[in-house]
Amino acid sequence: MPQSFVQFKDISKHFGGVNALTEVSLSIVRGEVHGLMGENGAGKSTLGKVLAGIHTPDAGQIILDGQVRHFRNPADALAAGVGMVHQELAFCPDLSVAENLCMGRYPRTLGFLSRRKMADEAERLLEQIGVKVDVSRPMHELTTGQEQSIQIAAAVGTNARVIVFDEPTASLSTRESDHLFELIGRLKARGITLIYVSHRMPEILALCDSMSVLRDGKYVGSLTRAEATQDRIVEMMTGRVIKIRETGGNRLTGREMMTVNRLTSPGKFADVKFNLHAGEIVCMAGLVGAGRSETAQAIFGMDPKATGQVTVEGNALSLRRIRESMRRGIALVPEDRKRQGLVLMMSCSSNGSMAVLDTLRRGPFLNYRKERVLATDMFARLRIKAAGIDAPVNSLSGGNQQKVVLAKWLARGAKVLIVDEPTRGVDIGAKQAIHDLLHELASQGTAILVISSELPEVLALADRIIVMREGHIAAELPRAAADEQTLLRHMAGVGPTSLN
Amino acid sequence: MASTGGLRSLKGMQELGLVIVVLAIGGFLSTLGHFNAFPGQGNLFLNYDNLIEGIATPMSIYAIMAIGMTCVIITGGIDISVGSVMAMAALGGAAAMEQLPIDAPWWKVLPVGVLVPVVIGLACGVLNGACVVGLRMHPFIVTLGTMSIFRGLATVLPPQATLPSGGKRLPIAFTPDIMRWQVGGLEIVPLLVMLGVFVVGAIYLWFLIAGRETYAVGGNEEAARFSGIRVGRVKFRVYMISGLCAGIAAVVSLGRFGTASSNTGLGYELVVVAAAVIGGASLAGGRGTAIGAILGTLIIAMIDNAIITFLGKSEYRQIIIGAAIIVAVALERAGHLVRGRKS
Repeated sequence: MPQSFVQFKDISKHFGGVNALTEVSLSIVRGEVHGLMGENGAGKSTLGKVLAGIHTPDAGQIILDGQVRHFRNPADALAAGVGMVHQELAFCPDLSVAENLCMGRYPRTLGFLSRRKMADEAERLLEQIGVKVDVSRPMHELTTGQEQSIQIAAAVGTNARVIVFDEPTASLSTRESDHLFELIGRLKARGITLIYVSHRMPEILALCDSMSVLRDGKYVGSLTRAEATQDRIVEMMTGRVIKIRETGGNRLTGREMMTVNRLTSPGKFADVKFNLHAGEIVCMAGLVGAGRSETAQAIFGMDPKATGQVTVEGNALSLRRIRESMRRGIALVPEDRKRQGLVLMMSCSSNGSMAVLDTLRRGPFLNYRKERVLATDMFARLRIKAAGIDAPVNSLSGGNQQKVVLAKWLARGAKVLIVDEPTRGVDIGAKQAIHDLLHELASQGTAILVISSELPEVLALADRIIVMREGHIAAELPRAAADEQTLLRHMAGVGPTSLN
Repeated sequence: MASTGGLRSLKGMQELGLVIVVLAIGGFLSTLGHFNAFPGQGNLFLNYDNLIEGIATPMSIYAIMAIGMTCVIITGGIDISVGSVMAMAALGGAAAMEQLPIDAPWWKVLPVGVLVPVVIGLACGVLNGACVVGLRMHPFIVTLGTMSIFRGLATVLPPQATLPSGGKRLPIAFTPDIMRWQVGGLEIVPLLVMLGVFVVGAIYLWFLIAGRETYAVGGNEEAARFSGIRVGRVKFRVYMISGLCAGIAAVVSLGRFGTASSNTGLGYELVVVAAAVIGGASLAGGRGTAIGAILGTLIIAMIDNAIITFLGKSEYRQIIIGAAIIVAVALERAGHLVRGRKS
């Protein structure tokens, strides 16, 4: 019987009326990488945050290395050797790497801050985890992957014995992710126990020695790596058997709905050219930073520096005015739902009507009755799970929040629907529901452009695939000619590039 | 009445809290008023005259501006120029009305007495809005600047420090006839104006598309922009509303005091921002209601009244109002912690 190092005993936690965790008990062996899995809203992040002292449990105990612990705040947890690497990175963007790394324990010489010692200390911390970054650079110049390394260095630097990773690859490129996995291997070799919260199956299977699954705030079970298979885990996560269907690539497409020609924005993308037909789904693949979201926002009228021609149903678009784009039938579901998609403190129904306020007019008045009917319809159509249409949208799980953003744009009945990362941070059940919805919309004649960084998603949805690289269109392929390796080669710019 | 749902129930909780605070302070002051009274004298606090003349009427000027301020604060902005705007508007109104004969009929006096201050208020609001939206400047800096500019103009422009000057008076039809019109021995016009502004403000925020846009912009400006809401227009509107409210407050002030000077409205921005914040408006944006603005002003007015009734010295006023702001915001933070927010 291996010794359990971290033990959760009957942990319960509720937020408002929602039970995020109900009597969760599980234990984690010293020195292993333990995966915490579950759909969004299953409570896996909450459990991680309870261990890191960010949330205080309502009931239950945490036993760390045989001792019962009550963490009231992250500092308590850190003192006991529990560090956390967050989804949202918490640094002062204008301070240097060294200043951030030494925060709270700045080295002094005769009472004055010693920049020399601070830089040395920061370099030592980064060296421990084998990362090279110029410590005098301000934080905001770093990539997300580098920022994450800094967080890890900070945790290791405080002698953390347990590090919780919360969806660490959510905003990393493939290369950055690989680097992170290497780093995790090194941490494990140092005897640190790692808890890896994610719903990304391949990562969990590649990294973890064992894993536990939560569903609806309850513990479902644990598996060792040897026992785990993708299907088995999905079944535990969802309580049912689901397989992602691939249904793209064989639709009959209609007339040309939108053309984009020589679309250029200095420093972001140049000479972008493609078209969209009614009833087809075109996916835009590419690495993070390839200029895909920027292109979408320019088409939607959000980039004052953009030049070029965009036509919708044969008529030119002015490219400067969002409302004109909306009137002409373009909808954009943005990539970052919390920042760009939702007003988190408002209700689901208020969020759902944000893009159609002009149609809910009765004189200057808002037609509340119509708004409620709209919200009720959308809840039914998208099977949004919430306490009600009046529930504040920040009480919903990620998948359901994403559905509200989609609902907001469905309510407009767009002819050209641009969806940027439709399933980022969304659980597998909601993902399938969103894919089904996009297929359904396409079959009803909507022209759809999906931007996605997940190749399986691209392959599952697309009739046609456009690959962007460094602000240019690198390739355009029919679905039949595309597979992951071809796409990856185009994305990274290796191998044959002119299949156009 | 239609419901704004989750937002509404949350608001309901907050306003219930304010009502409880009002009742608690009222109860405390009434008790104090009872025991501090000389034999034969009635309750010093809880009497009809004090409640109306000592609290409700004086608070009306603040409350009118607090409703405009709440609209601004909901968008995540602030307008600290309101006191100076009010001075400009009141002086303009006084300057215009002193040209009229003292016995001019009401139908000549009222349009001048109301329109001139209101238009001046609106114009100041337009200037604030143009700087905030057009030049993308921070509203605190913009209105800090215009607060000083408008106050300076209010000192430089009028021929005398106080208007009407040279022994003249405002037309009798304006004040006392209309603005100090008494019903049952009480001046009710300021109260009616306050009520009117409250009703319009509440309708604006709750029932108009423009109101919903105001909350959306304050709640998440980026998401509002992505939804096709014209963020600039929404912000511009609230500064106009705030200026308009300062203009209306100037009319009430002129009516009540019969004069305007370069000191009119001096320091009012403190009270008005305090009232909006105590009433639940969040400086981070997205939260605030018209009824909250009224209740927030009422709480300040009660404290104000108590200082004069029981301490007899208005010197403590600034200390106590300042403390009230901090207590109100601290209580709101505590409320968030108790309710527990999912991160």
